[in-house]
Amino acid sequence: MTSTACFMIVSRNDIPIYEAEVGAAPKKEEAVHQHQFILHAALDIVQDIAWTTSAMFLKSIDRFNDLVVSVYVTAAIHTRLMLLHDSRNDDGIKSFFQEVHELYIKSLLNPLYLPGSRIKSSHFDTKVRALARKYL
Amino acid sequence: MANFLAQFQSIKNSCDRIIVAVEDVSDLWPLVKKSFEERLPLKGAVLNNKTRNPVFLQSLPVEYILTTDARIRSRFPHELSLFWFREPYATVVLVTCEDLDEFKTILKPRLKLIVQNDEREWFIVFVSRAPPHNDQATKMAKKVYARLEVDFNSKKRERCCKLDLLAPEANFWEDMETKVLESIRNTLDRRIQFYEDEIRKLSEQRFMPVWNFCNFFILKESLAFMFEMAHLHEDSLREYDELELCYLETVNMVGKQRDFGGMDRGDDQAALLSPGNKPLTQIVQNDSFRAFEFRQYLFACQAKLLFKLNRPYEVASRGYAFIMSFSKELVLHEKVLPFCAREVWMITACLSLIDATASRYSDVSVAPDTEKEFHRVQGDLYSLCRTKFMRLAYLIGHGPDIERSPANSASLSMLPWPKPAVWPSIPADASSEVLEKEKTILHATPKMKHFGIQRKALPLEPSLLLREANRRRASLSVGNALEMFDGQSFMDGSDSELRRAPAPKVNAVTMSRTNSSLGIFESTIDRPMRLSEIHVAAEHALKKTISDPDLWKSLSSLEEFEKKYLQLSKGAADNYHHSWWKRHGVVLDGEIAAVWYKNGNYDLAAKSYEKVCALYSGEGWQDLLAEVLPNLADCQRILNDQAGYLSSCVRLLSLDKGLFLPKERQAFQSEVILLAHSEMENPVPLDVSSLITFSSNPGPPMEICDGDPGTLCVTVWSGFPDDINLEALSLTLTDTHNADEGVKARKSSGATILKPGKNAITLSLPPQKPGSYVLGVLTGHIGHLIFRSHNFSRGGPAESDDLMSYEKPTRPILKVLEPRPLVDLVPAVSSALLLNEFQWMGIIVKPINYSLKGAILHIDPGPGLVIEETHNIEMERYDNAGENQLKSTRSEDSAGDVHFKQLTLQNSRLELPEWASNITSVLWIPMRAISDELVRATSEGVDNLQRQSLVDGLRTIALKLDFGVSLNQTFERTIAVHFTEPFHVSTRVSDKCNDGTLLLQVILHSQVKATYTIYDAWMDLQDGFAHTGQRDGRPASAFFPLVISPTSKAGILFSICLSNMNPEDEPKQPQEDSILNIKYEISGNRNVGAHSPVALPHSGVENATEHLTFRCAVGLQRPVLDPCLAVGFLPLPSSGLRVGQLVAMKWRVERLKFFEDSALSENKNEVLYEVSANSENWMIAGRKRGYADLSKDEGSRIVVSVLCVPLVAGYVRPPQLGLPDVSKTTISCNPPGPHLVCVLPPPLSSSFCIPA
Repeated sequence: MTSTACFMIVSRNDIPIYEAEVGAAPKKEEAVHQHQFILHAALDIVQDIAWTTSAMFLKSIDRFNDLVVSVYVTAAIHTRLMLLHDSRNDDGIKSFFQEVHELYIKSLLNPLYLPGSRIKSSHFDTKVRALARKYL
Repeated sequence: MANFLAQFQSIKNSCDRIIVAVEDVSDLWPLVKKSFEERLPLKGAVLNNKTRNPVFLQSLPVEYILTTDARIRSRFPHELSLFWFREPYATVVLVTCEDLDEFKTILKPRLKLIVQNDEREWFIVFVSRAPPHNDQATKMAKKVYARLEVDFNSKKRERCCKLDLLAPEANFWEDMETKVLESIRNTLDRRIQFYEDEIRKLSEQRFMPVWNFCNFFILKESLAFMFEMAHLHEDSLREYDELELCYLETVNMVGKQRDFGGMDRGDDQAALLSPGNKPLTQIVQNDSFRAFEFRQYLFACQAKLLFKLNRPYEVASRGYAFIMSFSKELVLHEKVLPFCAREVWMITACLSLIDATASRYSDVSVAPDTEKEFHRVQGDLYSLCRTKFMRLAYLIGHGPDIERSPANSASLSMLPWPKPAVWPSIPADASSEVLEKEKTILHATPKMKHFGIQRKALPLEPSLLLREANRRRASLSVGNALEMFDGQSFMDGSDSELRRAPAPKVNAVTMSRTNSSLGIFESTIDRPMRLSEIHVAAEHALKKTISDPDLWKSLSSLEEFEKKYLQLSKGAADNYHHSWWKRHGVVLDGEIAAVWYKNGNYDLAAKSYEKVCALYSGEGWQDLLAEVLPNLADCQRILNDQAGYLSSCVRLLSLDKGLFLPKERQAFQSEVILLAHSEMENPVPLDVSSLITFSSNPGPPMEICDGDPGTLCVTVWSGFPDDINLEALSLTLTDTHNADEGVKARKSSGATILKPGKNAITLSLPPQKPGSYVLGVLTGHIGHLIFRSHNFSRGGPAESDDLMSYEKPTRPILKVLEPRPLVDLVPAVSSALLLNEFQWMGIIVKPINYSLKGAILHIDPGPGLVIEETHNIEMERYDNAGENQLKSTRSEDSAGDVHFKQLTLQNSRLELPEWASNITSVLWIPMRAISDELVRATSEGVDNLQRQSLVDGLRTIALKLDFGVSLNQTFERTIAVHFTEPFHVSTRVSDKCNDGTLLLQVILHSQVKATYTIYDAWMDLQDGFAHTGQRDGRPASAFFPLVISPTSKAGILFSICLSNMNPEDEPKQPQEDSILNIKYEISGNRNVGAHSPVALPHSGVENATEHLTFRCAVGLQRPVLDPCLAVGFLPLPSSGLRVGQLVAMKWRVERLKFFEDSALSENKNEVLYEVSANSENWMIAGRKRGYADLSKDEGSRIVVSVLCVPLVAGYVRPPQLGLPDVSKTTISCNPPGPHLVCVLPPPLSSSFCIPA
């Protein structure tokens, strides 16, 4: 499992609707800020790249020292699943994204969930963390 | 061959354009030189590039050099091939000859000799000096030239052209330029071929030990240089690219470790744009070059070509990539390079690249995409430079002045820091500087943020900087790092500590203090350095490294540092703003703002912070927003921007609760409240949509009737951490169908206290128009401050509203119903009541799904109607018709029934009791209809006509009911009540007896739905009549009491006779009519109709038992005893009468006797007649009234005839003839009483029938 990873789902309006530090390394308080900052800045790059390719999985679009940002852009609603990671396991990351995407779609189908609002489901959180352990 | 390097360099420097040699055979050059060189550079050249594709060149600089020139002459043959690029690309042979023989003998052999060298591309320019007017000379010149052409032109190629000096032909120069270019093209092709072959040969040996990069380089660069001379920059660039690839491939070959370079003074300044920075000979090493200098050289060459190609964007983007890859290279050699040489190099590289590209970029117009991309790269360069600059600044102790923002923290603490082999040690004489640094560090307590926000500062340095700075030294001296520390946080010395070490900054500082105070280690070399010492040491080391005085100046003082820092940040931000990367730009704006904020330039700082906050809050990145928003708020506070400050406080409060401590949130709130209660200069409505949200209560919308006020319950969520007092609160509702008109609901009851979280608020609602309403805007006052909130919450705390925009609740909260009847007032009884008696008049009050609580009834009786005010009004529950009787009796039984009440009328107002709010009730009002008229009896036959009109008994009563929550609803109705006399009386003379006795039958027809009991009846007769016998005219008392059922009839027979009229009674007013008196009692139910009159309280018991009296006038007519005139109705035609058929009605008037005393005496021979008929039944044609001749003689007669049309079929009364001037008592009629005739229906009309 990767030691540092920050996973984030950003809605169409660029609002983070889910975030999780999924790295194995012990959590550092300031890291959250820095990771958020890096992912936020990476939105600039996603916005450039997303329209140049038809692929949903954008591999390593930005790097910050040894940390890499990979992004998965969903087709319809333009939700971005962003992962800041330090591992190079592209296949694992891709599978992780795909499965999280599926989870995300399931939560979208929940009639009580308002699309674009924060995902507060603890079940979703648990599942994402389990997926992170499995693939990253 | 490497020895040629120096020579190669000098050749390269000396020649910069293509050379064309001029073989001046006949000493003509001085004559033509000027005109030759005037036409340089050549225009519109087409040359072949390396792939043999023609390339068009706008202009090609060329230099003509005589073959006798020293530059061409003295060359060794072996140099020729290597530096072939500098050799002439064409040879122009200038000749002239005026004699054919001379040409044959001298010139031709000489020319043959010159052109025999196949290597050279040549052509001959024959210069004719013959003047144009001299035909001889011209002819000769032509001849010679013709000869020349024959001798030197080949089939394939013309190599001659002729120049007339005195009369130049127009196309000569064109011709000559073509020839020059052709030659150059051919030569260039040949040389390219040559170099390519050579290079290929060398490349094949690349991996052999004997291979020498320098040789390869010379060849390759020669080719590149040749291309450059020929202005084939693309090809030249490609050569350099290949050269770079080849170099990178070979330089790192195993076993060939070379010096890296970069150790010279001035090497810290990047030379990536100046190819001539260092002579190549200086950087050559064995068979190759030092990487540090050579890679920069190659990039410089590439950049130069790219600039020539006008592609500054590519320089910038290639440059950025180069800097990044080169910086990696530098990391590998960091241990041998001077301290922080890499950082300094990167700073200078970025700066020079930025300057060069930006200055060349300004005049280039490019596609917008490229422009954006260019700015993006510029921004990248700036921010890279900025990061490195900050790092240097931190090292020498400007750290406390660098904003610890996420951006700075991420770029400084998360990227690798310099790791020199040996961290610089502190110079011997620097103790004072150390002391000073120590002081500044001690003073630089973390600045207290406004609102008392205390959060751990983000780190700027990697967690193990201090340790890193000491470790190397320690290992050199004592060898064990652990001993040096107290070991509190750095106990495990493994490298993975980077991630585990908590709170690096704080620990670092405290630790250094403990170390210094302990003073265990005496000697400088042994003792670990404190942070201040590290700074001082780094400063001294950097001073040595940095050769650029400007850069050093920027680092030397805090002011200069900030100046440079601002310049870099601004550059980066501006460029990012010009590109697509707005977020990068805005983040840097925040950094700029931080500097301004620190320096007290709050105006600018606030502007920039606003941009940053707008970005973060727009995109909902609350963690990042929480970093900058307090600063913005502080700026606004200082600038006295109250509106901005308030809205910032509100935004702070509406951020995630976890982002601030409760104490801090309370501080925000107290600021808001403090400001709200102070006197503000310009009170601006404050938008608290994110903080105070509201929603309707679940369930169906409240429904109210049109015109009613109401109370509305809404739920308000407060995001304030504490209770908050609101001075006023009101809510606007919006009509779903009409957006313009809103409705305001107001919290009337003064101050409201909002608890944190959910609050149920009740608002009063004024009357509304019909429609359905949704929630609009919530407004209110906190102190003097008006606030408004647009945010609907969906049953929870606020979500950011922009993404909910399409989800706005459209569920109506309030429905105002269309106007509908809410209440009905109807009379309880439809049948008639008794006139002139107190009667209970019932009014049914029927609420229609609407409460009548507190309703007030105004009663206004119309004319002829009096309310008995002394008597109470009764009210009772009203039940449906079927149960009426039963219920009413029962209600009487149970007097204590709540559904019965006696009410009193006050000022004709009446308040309805509460129990009657929702049930149908009936109101009994004691009333009397007053009528002064005496009833007249009618004759039996004529009752149809003379019956008392219904209208006479009608009375109206106006009712007005005020009801509703605040008596806002009104219901008005005028009710007609029918009153009537108890009986209708008709009379008939049933028999005339022989003895003059008349039997008068009086028929009583009950008019009401009640039972009468008649106790007595008598008749006061008029003059001329008397009761038979000596009785008082009463019928036999055995008849009484006589009971008359409702609406039935009863008859009473009176026996009367005529009496003589006493002449002496004349003065007495004659009694015109007889009066029928009836004493009766009535027993009826007020629920049905007439009933016994209301017992008046003051009249006492006596009256209660008194019978009622009914009086009726009966007109008795004396029989005609002395007839003077006789009127006879003549029989009608036997065919009978039919509707629509004309019939003549005839009366015969006959004078029976003469009478003198008649009033008619004046009209001697005439009599006035009048025909009266019911106009509904008859249409009369002819004169209805007139005088008919009738003589005074006895027995005279006349027939009055009137044409009539019957209109109605059936038995009708025929028209009657009356004689108005004659007393009725003297007229004898036949038939004597009213009679009927039969009118047949109209005959069937067959005109519309269709025969069978």
